[in-house]
Amino acid sequence: MSTTASFRTHEVPDDLLAAIDYCYDQGWTDGLPVVPPVVDRVKAMLAADSRPADTVIARHPATGLDLSLHAAAVNAVMAGCLPEYFPVVVAAFEAMDKPDFNFHGSTASTGGSAPLVIVSGPYADEIGMNADVNLFGPGNRANGTIGRATRLILRNVFQMLPGISDKSTQGNPGKYSFCIAERARGNPWPPLCEAQGYPKGTSSVTVYAGGGFCNVENHGGNTPEQILSSVADAMANYGCITLGQAVVILAPEHMQIVAGAGWTREKAQAYLFTQAKRSVDGMKSVGKYRDREYDTQHGEGAHALAEAGFMHRGLTPDDILITMGGGDAGGHSCFIPSWSRGRGSIMQHSAIRAPDK
Amino acid sequence: MQLYSPLSTTPKRKAVRAPALGSIDGLRIGILENGKLNAEEMLNEVAALFVQHHGCTVRTLASKKNASAPAPSNTLVQVAQEVDFLITGLGD
Repeated sequence: MSTTASFRTHEVPDDLLAAIDYCYDQGWTDGLPVVPPVVDRVKAMLAADSRPADTVIARHPATGLDLSLHAAAVNAVMAGCLPEYFPVVVAAFEAMDKPDFNFHGSTASTGGSAPLVIVSGPYADEIGMNADVNLFGPGNRANGTIGRATRLILRNVFQMLPGISDKSTQGNPGKYSFCIAERARGNPWPPLCEAQGYPKGTSSVTVYAGGGFCNVENHGGNTPEQILSSVADAMANYGCITLGQAVVILAPEHMQIVAGAGWTREKAQAYLFTQAKRSVDGMKSVGKYRDREYDTQHGEGAHALAEAGFMHRGLTPDDILITMGGGDAGGHSCFIPSWSRGRGSIMQHSAIRAPDK
Repeated sequence: MQLYSPLSTTPKRKAVRAPALGSIDGLRIGILENGKLNAEEMLNEVAALFVQHHGCTVRTLASKKNASAPAPSNTLVQVAQEVDFLITGLGD
């Protein structure tokens, strides 16, 4: 591919282990060994997108650094991606490039969020992603390496370097990799890609600045209210509650209880929004109450379910993304809190450009 | 073995500092607060020191809705017309 001829190369000895060490020496890794980005592998990765290699797919809002398809492909190779994963990596950055995602802030902040990548639609199965047991890993190459490519691009292309431009107080294990597929098998609700308005057959990537991972265990509840109240309690704990959004991944056991009783995604969202709240007095007792935030939630345009005297998580039920994932056994759902304290990053989605077959 | 560089190929931007003010005595101050918990209080305290020691006047308090995003350009253009220098910073 002649368009790659102008991209910078490094000549290293024909020794794979030496090449891995070379990548370490250059400061190109996340701390783990990378696959050396040899020319042929990068070209194979680029073949998964029909556009020219110098096409810019994202731009850093503060530094002006561009992400080209070529640089994305180099980092995808280093992360261990196969070429068929590349459209997901590209779509993730096309979504993150939307201004409201604010990927500079969510990556640089002391809050320590990591971009959670959620793949919805048939492409997840086509490339062998895991939506089932051990959803958040480890064990699946596609999930693990797509998430890792996201991190390596943030590090190498956008120079979000730990301790220098990434000032996260405690970091986040998701900063190594944070990528899942929505489970389609046995899912009673429409897939996210359909709910997002994409045509049938088009898969999507949703990106969300996730501030961690909170397991929600409930093996005794057997009504939607019992299950979702335990989720809502996690969403509203004093350490997590903000005006920010939420991602909730219901375990299949929990989904059976919720949807089996006839609850739709919209009804579950409304229930969670109603229940995930703390009183103003309670918020004051831990020093987290701010008039400005209360006014944002309860002022002009407030959602009808926002209850006076309380701070809810988020501004509307639509701020809560709910879907299903994980193995068949176990009453273990999860809540992913948003980055930091509010509306600094809003989740975004983008269509996956599946390569022509 | 040839390896491709994983870095951005964007040329480095040429950033230049604004020229230093010859004197700050009697100048007009703007404050740009970023919406964080103690930002306004901290910046007001800093501005008060300039008022006290250099006879400055505080003209403008501008706010950002998003602490981690660049200030909107129209905010900066407006503030630049009203003040001689601007104080900003984090305020957690």
